[in-house]
Amino acid sequence: MLLFRSEEWIEHWCKRNHLERGETLSVAQVWELSKLWYQDRLSLDYHGRSVEQVAEIFKHAGLTSKFWYV
Amino acid sequence: MDNTESPLWQVRAFVYNHFADTTHPPRVEDAARHFNIEIEEVSALYKELHNRHALFLEPETLTIRMANPFSGIPTDFRVHTNGKTYFANCAWDMLGIPAALSSRSDALIEAVCAESNESVQLEIRDGEIISSELLKIHFPLPFARWYDDLLFT
Repeated sequence: MLLFRSEEWIEHWCKRNHLERGETLSVAQVWELSKLWYQDRLSLDYHGRSVEQVAEIFKHAGLTSKFWYV
Repeated sequence: MDNTESPLWQVRAFVYNHFADTTHPPRVEDAARHFNIEIEEVSALYKELHNRHALFLEPETLTIRMANPFSGIPTDFRVHTNGKTYFANCAWDMLGIPAALSSRSDALIEAVCAESNESVQLEIRDGEIISSELLKIHFPLPFARWYDDLLFT
């Protein structure tokens, strides 16, 4: 996942690399997703996630488009 | 092997906490010494964790390249927090490091725009992110394809 100064730079990057546009989020959205995704990563109890748990995190973060289907 | 007490999950937690404490991944020798077990046993556990996507080894080696959100090599995403500097694997992981360490810890993040190559700074302060509203993070592949090519993702 790459950082861009604005939407315009994403368009440049996609054209230059001949790639289709993926999904774009604000840093505030990714910060909220990060807290859900990584908050327990140092714990001994973290053993990875089930498909259902991943889907629940995306839903909780408001990521409900087909792009986020698990 | 799926209970918390199993060597696999103990080694996984050791890797992550070593990263958090030192900013670097532990070598197999470090883990063997910590658990007082043979290097061969740790090697097998590292490979099993790699196979389960719990960490990512450099090809044909036992060197940890990634234990998301931490990177074992320098990148364009530096996270300064708690008096230490970490490297993140990507733009998501640069936010993942403060979240993993504790979302209440302040952090200064230095990154680079992937297209303009300009430097960008963000801050986490009191659990809130402070940055330009124009900044965007692009996810090139849908979730279903993230593990097809982890380096590209």
